Amino acid sequence: MSPRSYTRLKWALGAAALIALPLVVRDRYFLHLLVTAGIFVLLASSWNLLAGYAGQLNLGHAAFYGIGAYTSAILATKLGITPWLGLFAGGIVAALFGLMLGVPSLRLSGPYLAITTIGFSEILRLVAMNWVELTRGSLGLYGIPSFTPIRLGSWLQIEFRAEISSYYLLLVLVCMSLAIFQRLATSEFGLSLQSIREDETGAASIGVNISGYKLAVFTISAFFAGLAGAFFAHYQRLVSPDTLSLGETFTILTMTMLGGLGTLVGPVVGAVLLTFLSEGLRFVEDMVRLDVRMIIYGVLLIVTILFMRGGIVGLWNSLRTESRAEN
Amino acid sequence: MRLLRTTNLTRYFGGLCAVNDVNFELASGEIVGLIGPNGAGKTTLINLLSGVFPPSSGSIIFRDHEISRLKAHQINSLGIARTFQVVRVFKKLTVLDNVLAAAVDRRRLGPWGLVARAILGHGGAGETWDHDEADRLLEFVGLASYRGELAENLPYALSKRLEIARALATKPTLLLLDEPSSGLNPSELNGQIEIIRRINGQGVTILIIEHVMKVIMNISQRIIVLHYGEKIAEGSPKEIYQDPQVVEAYLGGEAHAEH
Repeated sequence: MSPRSYTRLKWALGAAALIALPLVVRDRYFLHLLVTAGIFVLLASSWNLLAGYAGQLNLGHAAFYGIGAYTSAILATKLGITPWLGLFAGGIVAALFGLMLGVPSLRLSGPYLAITTIGFSEILRLVAMNWVELTRGSLGLYGIPSFTPIRLGSWLQIEFRAEISSYYLLLVLVCMSLAIFQRLATSEFGLSLQSIREDETGAASIGVNISGYKLAVFTISAFFAGLAGAFFAHYQRLVSPDTLSLGETFTILTMTMLGGLGTLVGPVVGAVLLTFLSEGLRFVEDMVRLDVRMIIYGVLLIVTILFMRGGIVGLWNSLRTESRAEN
Repeated sequence: MRLLRTTNLTRYFGGLCAVNDVNFELASGEIVGLIGPNGAGKTTLINLLSGVFPPSSGSIIFRDHEISRLKAHQINSLGIARTFQVVRVFKKLTVLDNVLAAAVDRRRLGPWGLVARAILGHGGAGETWDHDEADRLLEFVGLASYRGELAENLPYALSKRLEIARALATKPTLLLLDEPSSGLNPSELNGQIEIIRRINGQGVTILIIEHVMKVIMNISQRIIVLHYGEKIAEGSPKEIYQDPQVVEAYLGGEAHAEH
């Protein structure tokens, strides 16, 4: 079999497994975990495009997620706009904020940019807390409608109240987004981003328009985080200022680092792994009455940075080259 | 034919005048050496020409364009490429990707154009870069067998060559080389001279900063001497060698002591 058709076969098998999964495991709680993992895959992958490929340390990614969630939730609850439009509106409004946050990145780098993005995200969280007329403050917005049913003729109607149809909708969104990330990362655009990450002066000397690329990647990254947020709003049907918290960004960051920063598969692996791990830890939390999850995330992050910079994907790749070298 | 001209080019860093009222011209097809003692302002001059920072005053005309206020990437797209004294290769990218990143035709497509191409294009169809050209360039600088290697794994001498290949991938008409021979051993030095000659042979004008006198006297048709930011001499290698002001600048008081 040619390597190309082998790759295709692998993808086809993977897709079949993901489609069959909810039909085999019918547990609603398990499906809910899969959906949560899917949302984090979107968040971690979009953060990775910005931080891993372009080297822009954005510590306010949860803000884009929250903007997407609030945008779609407000449009649906106050103006009665269908969630299907809200989904993209959430992405677009987040993208505009992304463009805005991109502007300081033109002048700031490293720790200075990181601090600015934290400020950005905290300001938005405070706005969500205090603009009570619009957001209901810390109570959050509830009673957000689910995605409206899709009618296929008069005999079939797909409802989005059950986890299973939400799972399929998210599966489509995630697959499309990952395909776009893959194309962006492996293209001339992706290579330009990496050149900026490696050396801005060097990149400018070969004609890379640093400002243009930074603004573009901030916008794109924010769009997908906003999309994830809008989906979340209509899935959870409740949005609170917690969505924009630094803890959320920290979770996204840990997932990406653990999986492998600057790789396509890394954020996916990290997001799925940590989503299930943190659920496993929930009963421990109930026992010791302590936020064990964040402690474990912190430890994982430190271990990753100290002992496996490339994350799980990096470790996997180096093991494979070693075993090849032995053969 | 005149390719580049600077007029009263001046750059201050705080109160320090790093480049002071420098006027010079480059003609198409020349190799011009830029020499001077440490701190004479050579690298600052190249940074001005390549747009790393703007001059405090004065102008730079490159092929009818006033470029002194342009950004580095705009200057590059007009046809000026450069290398750096301390190499700035993209360490975590492969040797080939270093060259490919430079080979993207940025005159044709900006960032959003490339995004659209990436998402809508079919399997890399219509990409602006030319893989064969990138391979030819690696062959040319003798890095063909390292194409898949990460740039950070290259020995120093080879990473200097990679920078040259990367600069050439942007198809420049003027190449600015900032100490291409520093840190090279004698045999590597000869290889480097050969490469620079061959680049010039393909019609690329070269301005080269160099400390190794063997190199500069060997390949320059003309030499410009900077001292404390000012141009103190200009002429053929032979003239420069005998210029008392240059000898004074390099040897300071010692030259007098001998007499």
